[in-house]
Amino acid sequence: MNGFFDKIVELFSTPEYIDSLLHGFLLTMQISYFAILIGVLLGTVIALVDTAKKTKWMVIPKFICTVYTTVIRGTPMALQLFIMFFVIFAIKGFPSIITAILAFGLNSAAYTAEVIRSGIQSVDPGQTEAGLALGLKRSTIFFKIVAPQAIKNIIPALGNEIITVIKETAIVSMVGMYDLNMAAKDIGSGQNMASYVVPMVTAALFYLATIYLITFVVRRVEKSLRKSEMRGAEK
Amino acid sequence: MIGTQKNTELVVKDLRKSFGKNKVLNGINFRLNEGERVVVLGPSGSGKSTFLRCINWMEEPTSGEIILDGEVVTEKNVRRIRQDVGMVFQHFNLIANLTVMENLTLAPVKLKRMKRDEAEKRARELLKHIGLISKMNAYPASLSGGQKQRVAIVRAMMMNPEVLLFDEPTSALDPESIGDVLSLIRELASQGMTIMIVTHEMSFAREIATRIVFLDKGRIIEEGEPSEFFEHPKTERVKEFLEKVL
Repeated sequence: MNGFFDKIVELFSTPEYIDSLLHGFLLTMQISYFAILIGVLLGTVIALVDTAKKTKWMVIPKFICTVYTTVIRGTPMALQLFIMFFVIFAIKGFPSIITAILAFGLNSAAYTAEVIRSGIQSVDPGQTEAGLALGLKRSTIFFKIVAPQAIKNIIPALGNEIITVIKETAIVSMVGMYDLNMAAKDIGSGQNMASYVVPMVTAALFYLATIYLITFVVRRVEKSLRKSEMRGAEK
Repeated sequence: MIGTQKNTELVVKDLRKSFGKNKVLNGINFRLNEGERVVVLGPSGSGKSTFLRCINWMEEPTSGEIILDGEVVTEKNVRRIRQDVGMVFQHFNLIANLTVMENLTLAPVKLKRMKRDEAEKRARELLKHIGLISKMNAYPASLSGGQKQRVAIVRAMMMNPEVLLFDEPTSALDPESIGDVLSLIRELASQGMTIMIVTHEMSFAREIATRIVFLDKGRIIEEGEPSEFFEHPKTERVKEFLEKVL
């Protein structure tokens, strides 16, 4: 047990180790942040195409979206990452962080699209009908009626997706990137601390704290969005 | 006065509607004149609601024409025509994320029928009239069914429509609220509003209708004045129906 505490002291009193952990954490956060951003933007576009009225102009876009989400969701993330690194962006000197962001962003988009699509479709069709019967434009109905209600259903599931992306970015260590996961392994290796327990538990706590914070924020947002559903709610 | 009078004429020509292989409407010819109050009756599955919903193209007709004031409803003008055809749904369909006031003012303001302050003034008058001014800033979730439906009717009236369509307006209500909703419809009727109602309230149908239309298997098989229809039905099908429901 004494050794364990010594290792804790060693980890936190060696600036190089702390520096490595923070750098790793920063990379994890950078990849996650931009990947989620791409995921939400592209996912929204895919969801809108998916839920749009079936007209002849939408046949091809709808087909492309279906193929895209099927392929992304039907193959392992690690393989997608490898394909991005060793096939598509196998260009010397191409920044690996961008490759990683694209890999995770394009992957997350497929899942986010599903989240947004089901959120939109869970809004009572009567709400759209009311808007149509009043003669409102489809865009007005979407922005004023459907979207605000869909968001309530989307936020919790989107929170899950954000958490998944953050954790999943740990596989970038497989292509040699120095993220939080990789930092823990590096600090624990033979030429450094020569003990994995403390750095890995520390890395785990970093992930946990981040995800706990996100869960907390998502709950808060969810709660405030649900206000109008409570009886007696007034503006 | 809740509404104002207009010269309305609604014509339905050989209206047909199928959902896949299921033929729901099989050639309906119909005419609705200014100030008429038509109640559509018929057994379940006879196409009553579909007929009503085809009039403002909530269901796009498979064939046939809907003509409002001489203008044939098409894909292009349907949005403008809907602004003149009010609709009240069985399940109210108040916008859940908007307050009562916002429900009333959204369409007239967005569609530039009224300025915001004008619309709010009108909404306040109407809410006062139906005794729900205290609910002005409440969300629909805090209203009872009857209150929701009365707000929904007033929301339709905000657009000053030429015709009001009621799709089973009391079917989802408790007996006490039914009375409140029916008196509001009665009031609109007394002011000369042109109305079409699909309902199962026979006594109300008899009281309010200027004409009854009876649908069976997607066709109008009998129509006439309420007293005539209820006391001297011409077809066996209607006799059978009335025996069961009265």
